[in-house]
Amino acid sequence: MASTRGPRGHRGLIAAVAALVAALALIGVVALPAAAQDSGGSGDTSTETTATTADDSGDAVLRIGWAQDPQTLNPFVALDEENYNVWALNWDLLVNFSAEDLSPAPGIAESWEVSEDRKTVTFKLDPNRNWSDGEPITSKDVKFSLETLGKEGDLFAGYTSNVTKIETPDDETVVITTKQPDARIVGGLFIYMLPEHIWGKVPIDELTGSYQPELPLVGSGPYVLTEFSRGRIIRMERNPEWQGPEPAFSEVQYIKYGNQDAVERALRLGEVDMVVEVDPSTFERLESDPNIETLSSPSPSYTQLAFNLCPDDLCPDAQFNPAVQDVAVRQALAYAVDRDKVNAISARGTAFPGSGILPSFYEAFYEVPEQNYPLDVELAKQILDDAGWVDNGDNPRTKDGEELSFDLAVRSESPTNIQAAKLVAEQAAEIGIEFNVDVVSVDKLTEMTIRKVDGKPAPEFDTFIWGWGGDPYDPSFLMSLLTTDEIGGLSDGFYSNPEYDALYTEQAGIFDTAERKSLIQEMVALTQEDVAYLVLTEDPNLQAYRTDRIQGIEPSCPSDGGDLICEQVSYEPLLTIEPATGSSASSSDDGGGSAGVLIGIAAVVVIGGGLLFWRSRKKKSDEPLEMEE
Amino acid sequence: MSGRWLAGKAGAAMLTLIFVIIFNFFLFRVMGDPTTQLARLPNSSPEEIEKLRADYGIDKPLSGQFLDYAGDTVRLDFGVSQRSREEVWDEMKAALPWTLLLVGTGTVLATLIGSWMGVIAATRRGKKTDDSLLGFSLLTYAAPEYWIGIILILVFAVAAPILPAGQQVTPGVEFSSWISEALSVAEHMILPVTAMTLMLLGQYFLIMRSSMVDVLTEDFITVKRAIGLSHEQVIRRHAVPNALLPLVTLSAIQFGAVVGGAITIETVFSWPGLGELSFNAINDKDFPVLAGTFLVFSAGVILANLAADILYFFLDPRVQAR
Repeated sequence: MASTRGPRGHRGLIAAVAALVAALALIGVVALPAAAQDSGGSGDTSTETTATTADDSGDAVLRIGWAQDPQTLNPFVALDEENYNVWALNWDLLVNFSAEDLSPAPGIAESWEVSEDRKTVTFKLDPNRNWSDGEPITSKDVKFSLETLGKEGDLFAGYTSNVTKIETPDDETVVITTKQPDARIVGGLFIYMLPEHIWGKVPIDELTGSYQPELPLVGSGPYVLTEFSRGRIIRMERNPEWQGPEPAFSEVQYIKYGNQDAVERALRLGEVDMVVEVDPSTFERLESDPNIETLSSPSPSYTQLAFNLCPDDLCPDAQFNPAVQDVAVRQALAYAVDRDKVNAISARGTAFPGSGILPSFYEAFYEVPEQNYPLDVELAKQILDDAGWVDNGDNPRTKDGEELSFDLAVRSESPTNIQAAKLVAEQAAEIGIEFNVDVVSVDKLTEMTIRKVDGKPAPEFDTFIWGWGGDPYDPSFLMSLLTTDEIGGLSDGFYSNPEYDALYTEQAGIFDTAERKSLIQEMVALTQEDVAYLVLTEDPNLQAYRTDRIQGIEPSCPSDGGDLICEQVSYEPLLTIEPATGSSASSSDDGGGSAGVLIGIAAVVVIGGGLLFWRSRKKKSDEPLEMEE
Repeated sequence: MSGRWLAGKAGAAMLTLIFVIIFNFFLFRVMGDPTTQLARLPNSSPEEIEKLRADYGIDKPLSGQFLDYAGDTVRLDFGVSQRSREEVWDEMKAALPWTLLLVGTGTVLATLIGSWMGVIAATRRGKKTDDSLLGFSLLTYAAPEYWIGIILILVFAVAAPILPAGQQVTPGVEFSSWISEALSVAEHMILPVTAMTLMLLGQYFLIMRSSMVDVLTEDFITVKRAIGLSHEQVIRRHAVPNALLPLVTLSAIQFGAVVGGAITIETVFSWPGLGELSFNAINDKDFPVLAGTFLVFSAGVILANLAADILYFFLDPRVQAR
């Protein structure tokens, strides 16, 4: 059971006991003089700096700091987003994403061919590629992964919903047949290819239970995971069977820190070379450091103001203020909410103002929507007047006994969202729409949206602010959220528009990018007209790295406006970045020298402390006893 | 007589423990059907939920569930963590030494320093020294420990970055020997242990001070002085041993309570002990881990109380004579 944990348990215990002795000595000197009021601790802590960062032996190690690490490596049960960071270096997809523009690129499959009716795709594998343990990579691995991980993996289910048949006529060929044409089979089958000769031996109950994979984690990428100490470090080393260009860093380490502040401190001190998820609050501070380069790039995720749009026939027991389903009200809101201001204040200017349901990240399919609701408060008022909503001065507008007063639910764990909610409320008040911001727990908000009565959805909210994140290349997932099919499923705005649904089905089967783009643009236009969601901001990837440690970084995924290392999506950039010239290769062995120094310090401290203690005792005994009557 | 007294104490401890185990069972059942929390996807199928219920054994009647639970608990089988899919007992076994190290060091230091300060203050009662010591310990006693922790981090890890702000060793370092690893651990312990010590210090100080003041006013002290013993001897050989009694009890009882009380300090300093484990379990709604740590915390308090009783039995002859 503890095989993946390794050193933490046992060695930790010995170290803990040993440390007790050393610590008593060290702390004794820090704490004792502070407590004894007559001998202030005179700078005895100043010499005990961390002696573990700088040394210069061995190969180059890329050290990436993070505040949240995966809890398990088993892809069947893992639920952490951080897992993708390491999986993406360890395993290929059937078809990878190109770091250039995220379009389909060779992965486990070297090439592929789409049939005339677009329902069958034939993939060819490279017969010479091996897993990191030397076993050949074959079509059996592909079939196993798609059928098992694609069905049972919590994070991977759903991608193969259209697949009817997976055939393997020989070791190098995989033929996938689908019910309807499905472009995701080539550009968006986000299911890692696992070695069947390892995972296939484990009963499925165990895979979806408490199975912990053995290390090294056999893979096909340029690095394989060799150490996993939860809460401490994930170590990845070069894959001996890797046939592509050899990566310059012999090792990639993901180092876990207690919190985001500690990660940023580590970057400043050079304990790590890169941080792939920086907090907006500290992003500016890092920007000012001369040795640190920061990057804010768009991501496939957004924050939206959602409305309860569920039609009566689908949700007879839904509870909400019906005024929210008046499209004029939503359009007026879209004109009245200053998305630039929301970005500037709630996200401290690190995000990007929203422009419809398709994030600009999806370059291949993105266009600025024609109707993009520029800020226009007067027009917003005009729209409400025209729709018959009577202006009541400082009070909310009314019409036929209905009042423009909505509850706005927002997650307590997101200060950014709470700030955004306040801004929305403030700006909407100017045009006579009232929002009562209601800060709730995630569970509560989830409950409000997934509530059911008699098996039918019965959402219980007017509006809320939350977000969604999509796949790296294929926008289908994000677009699916507004389909009628997802009502009762993932839909949280309960938007239903037959025209949109038809376009969605059609675009999913188009393999030609340009053709698909125009359909997607039509869908965006529909949702903009209806204001299905008011997308407030597109969320960024905030990253930073040390220029004195790493060179050769070019934004990637896509190369125009992408992130530092194509985090979670492609291992390609790691093949080209290298240690900065002039920087001592950052190996992480602490060496004997620093230990010696520390032992010396400890000895001085113990002797010094003992002396102080003895002297204070002696002094005291010379004094006469002072006693109460 | 005395054997029966000990047996009675042990029996009472046992009973309390059994009660806690029973309570623990119902506590996590009262929170509702765990599958509703486990089925993360809103539209999980009825079959999936049924399978989950069977996996967790909650399709059985309550009595059957309780027998399973009691048997598992006795075998130290707390189930598997929802998040890491590791045995809860293994997770706790990995975390426990770190908590004991932190709490143990903190308690020992707080006892030593607190009582030392108490002796000084009591012998100089009403003087400036006494006042300032009293003020200092009341301040640290009243201040929330997480606040002390944050201030320590701000001063020693941010303003003057000379000490690590958290965790138990420098992350990502390969240690050449256990000595260097132990030294790294020691370095990382300084701030959390200081916070822990400051949090506990006040009580020990106050108890020791008042206990010393009591003892110092007793007749036998005057007698000892009258027969010509030096100040040093009177204090060390006669006053302090007599005043120590309440301190020992407090120290033992505190130790149990503090295992749980370390939650905030462990969280602030990302110390990988039981406190952080349970904090994360709350965040992740990881009920098996939560139930396990809850039981360990309770057992800790009960056992520490028992230990205090036993210790008292040997230290105070009056108990044995009863």
